[in-house]
Amino acid sequence: MLRTRCAVAVARLARFASRLVGRGGTALPGLVALRIDPAVIERLVASLPGGVVVVTGTNGKTTTSKMIATMLTGSGRRVLANRTGSNLARGVAAALVGAARRGRVSADVAVFEIDEAAVRHLGPLLRPRVIVVTNLARDQLDRYGELETTARHVAAAVSASGVAVLAADDPIVARLGQGRGAGSVWFGGEPAIRARMPDDRSLYGHGEPRFDGRLDAVLNETTADGDGQIIRVALDSGEVTVRLQVPGVYNAYNAAAALLAVAQLGLDPVGAATHLAAMPAAFGRGQVVEYRDRRVRVILVKNPAGLNQAIGLLRAEPAACPVLVAINDNVADGRDVSWLWDASVEALAGTPHRFGASGIRAADMALRFKYAGVQAWMETDDRRSLDRVVDDAPPGATVYLIPTYTALLSYLEILLPGKRPEEVWA
Amino acid sequence: MTAPFVVAHLYRRRMNIYGDTGNVTALRRRLEWRGIAIRVVSVDEGDRFDFEEADVVVAGGGEDSSQLAIADDLVARTDAIHRAVGAGVVFLTVCGTYQLFGRRFVTSGGSEIPGIGVFAAETIGGGTRMIGNVVVDSPWGSLVGFENHSGRTRLDTGQVSLGKVRRGFGNDDSSGEEGAVVGNCFGTYLHGSVLPKNPGLADELIRRALYRRTGSDVALAPLDDAVEARAAAAAANRP
Repeated sequence: MLRTRCAVAVARLARFASRLVGRGGTALPGLVALRIDPAVIERLVASLPGGVVVVTGTNGKTTTSKMIATMLTGSGRRVLANRTGSNLARGVAAALVGAARRGRVSADVAVFEIDEAAVRHLGPLLRPRVIVVTNLARDQLDRYGELETTARHVAAAVSASGVAVLAADDPIVARLGQGRGAGSVWFGGEPAIRARMPDDRSLYGHGEPRFDGRLDAVLNETTADGDGQIIRVALDSGEVTVRLQVPGVYNAYNAAAALLAVAQLGLDPVGAATHLAAMPAAFGRGQVVEYRDRRVRVILVKNPAGLNQAIGLLRAEPAACPVLVAINDNVADGRDVSWLWDASVEALAGTPHRFGASGIRAADMALRFKYAGVQAWMETDDRRSLDRVVDDAPPGATVYLIPTYTALLSYLEILLPGKRPEEVWA
Repeated sequence: MTAPFVVAHLYRRRMNIYGDTGNVTALRRRLEWRGIAIRVVSVDEGDRFDFEEADVVVAGGGEDSSQLAIADDLVARTDAIHRAVGAGVVFLTVCGTYQLFGRRFVTSGGSEIPGIGVFAAETIGGGTRMIGNVVVDSPWGSLVGFENHSGRTRLDTGQVSLGKVRRGFGNDDSSGEEGAVVGNCFGTYLHGSVLPKNPGLADELIRRALYRRTGSDVALAPLDDAVEARAAAAAANRP
């Protein structure tokens, strides 16, 4: 215990020093704490009376975590969460250390979004009371390796968890629930909604079965409403109807997962859902930023499944909007941009929108547009590309910005100068 | 041309790890832009198909588990594919199917997947994965793509490669060779997808297929490949 308290003290000093020299440094205190006390995560987590909720999966981790944390906080729980982008061991350690007082974490419950590769190692340390698996699709193969490997990592974490909240409509997630019986609860969509939520196996045509047993949370309706949507979810304790501030059928799935997760923690989801209505989009996850009198709607994409979801939103957009797709290939984005060819960019041909490509790999995106039969301009400079897409819209109109992760961070500096991602997320 | 140009997409469902569908897209557009009608046929496990009816056969990469899943089906097609290659049908095999068009693939786990021996080559899995952008000097110009494989492919003496590695790992990170070519059958580790960014290779496949049909050289109408060139240049300069 002395070692843990020492780790906490030194890590906080590191955080203080890192802020003095003007670095955000969310990872450094975590690294320092883990170096001094390798068991710092287990020890601090043990002091949380409400335990830990882990959210993992390919897409939707940030939004789903935020939804769960929002409902728990709104219901009077003191919630500890890691910050967006800090979803490895050091990010979790940093969050725990930051909230520790005399070797105990001053929170009732922790909600951690965990990278789907790191979850193998972190699952057994965190012993989650609830683990949510949003979906599993191929993603940045140069970083994560094969999808089957990722599925094994997540399976290891699921077996270290109390209750698993699983996506019934995702064949790979469905496999994770096999043999767990009451240890798994399931969320999914009614058939017409399910058809709008493609999974990796339908994307690539394997046709593997989904989970076809009884669902614990059924998404019965999603209706677009301004920048958000109205959803209806049936749970054992009753039906929830709520207006989300985030668009897209995938975010409706995230909400169904979050509602089912808080129900496992003893909250009444019908009451807790009221807090969802007040939750703004997480940065880059359908968030709208006012910029030069235009409304810039930012949708982060990381993989073909995510890009197809963004394409679905554009197809549902009735107004003719300028759209900028910004593709970077830094390590955090994945070096390989081959995935652009897996997304259904062809579905954008015939929409009324006007397209541009930017980012380090702007030419790859322009090429993808060309072969999809979609006219697009190309501009590699971030600021000039943003100006061009904004100038193309009348004041008050909506502009779509669809960036990969590091492109999102670059555009964030232009759209919201001086703000760090964690401040925007908070 | 009377009948449409036929592209057979072999194992589209299981062997398309990341973007290899783009190769079919590239052939489709480059034919359409020249006024040539195209028909794409999917050939998956168990599907009956006579490869000699195809102008080009395209097959992509897959995870080890997918390679195992299609291995029996591919072996059952050994004679048919050898006959088609002998008859001059054009093949483009990428990564996982390139490996299985060799004699055999021994995975890092030690299990052996039999290949069909079109290429005089063997692949041994294991060691560090070879990941990154790759540039190859080939008879069809410099080729740019993205490789991601742990299998090391050794070509027998006399087996011609697709080209020489200028940057990246290639077949095995030591021989300096990338890919393999037998007649009109091409094998490569290049994803990217390979054909959209390398229109010279895409047109070479089309030209060879049209020669097989007509018995004479067909001059392809030139296309504006400026965006293709920019995309290839961007990839060649990235890690």
